[in-house]
Amino acid sequence: MSAIEPVAKPTQTGTTDAGLADGSSTDGGPDKRGRMIIQAAQVHKHYGAFHALRGVSAQFHAGEVTAIIGPSGSGKSTFLRTLNGLESHDGGEIRIDGVKLGTDTRALDVVRREVGMVFQNFNLFSHLSILRNITLAPMRVRGLTREAAETRALSLLERVGLRAQAAKYPVQLSGGQQQRVAIARALAMEPKVLLFDEPTSALDPEMVNEVLGVMRELADTGITMLVVTHEMGFAREVADRLVFFDQGQILEDTSPHAFFTSPAHERSRAFLSQVR
Amino acid sequence: MNWTRRHPVWVMTAAMLGLLLFLWGMALPLSLAPAPIGPAATQFAEGTRVTVALTVVAGVIGTVLGFLAGVGRLSKVRAVRWLSSFYVWLIRGTPLLLQILFVWLVVPTLLPGGIVLSDFACAVTALALNAGAYNAECVRAGILAVPPGQVEAARALGLSPLQIFQDIVFPQSLRVALPGLANNLASLVKDSSLAYAISVVELTMVGYRVQAESYQPVPVFLTSAVVYLILTTAFTTLTGALEQQMDRGTRRSEATA
Ligand SMILES: Nc1ncnc2c1ncn2[C@@H]1O[C@H](COP(=O)(O)OP(=O)(O)O)[C@@H](O)[C@H]1O
Ligand SMILES: [Mg+2]
Repeated sequence: MSAIEPVAKPTQTGTTDAGLADGSSTDGGPDKRGRMIIQAAQVHKHYGAFHALRGVSAQFHAGEVTAIIGPSGSGKSTFLRTLNGLESHDGGEIRIDGVKLGTDTRALDVVRREVGMVFQNFNLFSHLSILRNITLAPMRVRGLTREAAETRALSLLERVGLRAQAAKYPVQLSGGQQQRVAIARALAMEPKVLLFDEPTSALDPEMVNEVLGVMRELADTGITMLVVTHEMGFAREVADRLVFFDQGQILEDTSPHAFFTSPAHERSRAFLSQVR
Repeated sequence: MNWTRRHPVWVMTAAMLGLLLFLWGMALPLSLAPAPIGPAATQFAEGTRVTVALTVVAGVIGTVLGFLAGVGRLSKVRAVRWLSSFYVWLIRGTPLLLQILFVWLVVPTLLPGGIVLSDFACAVTALALNAGAYNAECVRAGILAVPPGQVEAARALGLSPLQIFQDIVFPQSLRVALPGLANNLASLVKDSSLAYAISVVELTMVGYRVQAESYQPVPVFLTSAVVYLILTTAFTTLTGALEQQMDRGTRRSEATA
């Protein structure tokens, strides 16, 4: 366990502090901000000649709910995917709970255990029952017994309101139900951080709220959430923090209130005028 | 079909038992048939057993080869990819009869002295190599059909590459590959007839001999054809039921336990 230090002063703009200290605190504080759990410093990513991330720096603290918004193609998904090593980054540094990503595969194992992900298209394992979808990783990766994994899975299904569907298969569920299962599946690994990549974008409008409802409840439990979303209502009401991406960079890193009432950049204003 | 759908395990068991019963007991009803079939009943039964043995042994080895080559064609290692592609290209681009003759005539000269390949072993080798190349294509298609998002989700959950293959990719690709693999197995029943060219006494060879002695090709070849039809139907039923079994839970309407 790391030493208890004062809460790091929140920075409102993306810092470029290269020598990131392991700033940590066990005290949530009034803004429920805990110790630093994700540190991204000057992260770059190229796809061939295309420069998808151009020096992205941000720190995320335990318990923080961050909404990430921005135009399509601005690098939001790419950023999330570098955070759990689904994509490698080719410049800068990412630390998850102090473990530096990208050097060896051992780091990747650590990171994958601590960072869960929920995808736009749910990506449930279609050949496995709902229950088995959730128990697979805890049994294989965490070494839980089947009984322990099933107990955990059923209580998570209860939490997302789908206990009765445990024996069904993904195709038999609606999109909203599938996404709630995907959330339960990610939670079953007891991650410290949960990444959401447009979790409601593939859903029919009438199913969006059931998923957002689960996410709202989750936000209150103190898990760290990074949510790429087009749901401005969610960003405004649930997020503690708002990050605006544009052309592979973080253009604004501020509070949702500040962003929606007085966006600092022309690009943010243009974006807001389009989504509203 | 509907019944097959609901009780695939029973259908599989029934097809398997039916096939065994047929192999074991077919000499009896055949011996009651008029000449030239009746007197040659045991020959027909023996030939059928050889045909089934060729099919099953070459089918099993061919499935393993198909998986190795199918996975190999998608390997990250260039040499493995190249080798697998070469194998598939070579086998699919040449006639099976040529492959059988090659194994029979050329392979023994390459083997160290003392090792003797029986005609049966030569036929099995060639048939297995042949089936493997065709199976590789089915396996490759099956693997490519697994949604990449599911592999990604498994990676994000921390599963190792081996676990991902075994728990996610393999079972799902099998479901897609199975109809093709089943088709290849049914073809193998018929393709095994080419083993007659290297004097393996299988069903076609028996038929050829019996008609040569009796000068009555029509009843003899009719009998062979019926036996082949029974065999292919049994194999198709078997693999069809297996598909149904694998498919459980993929249909929206079905209430699964
Ligand atoms: N695998 C990839 N190969 C090539 N280009 C990619 C790949 N993934 C993303 N990109 C490009 O990177 C840019 C950022 O993509 P992405 O992070 O998905 O944007 P967003 O999620 O903000 O819509 C886009 O222009 C996209 O075309
Ligand atoms: Mg995206």
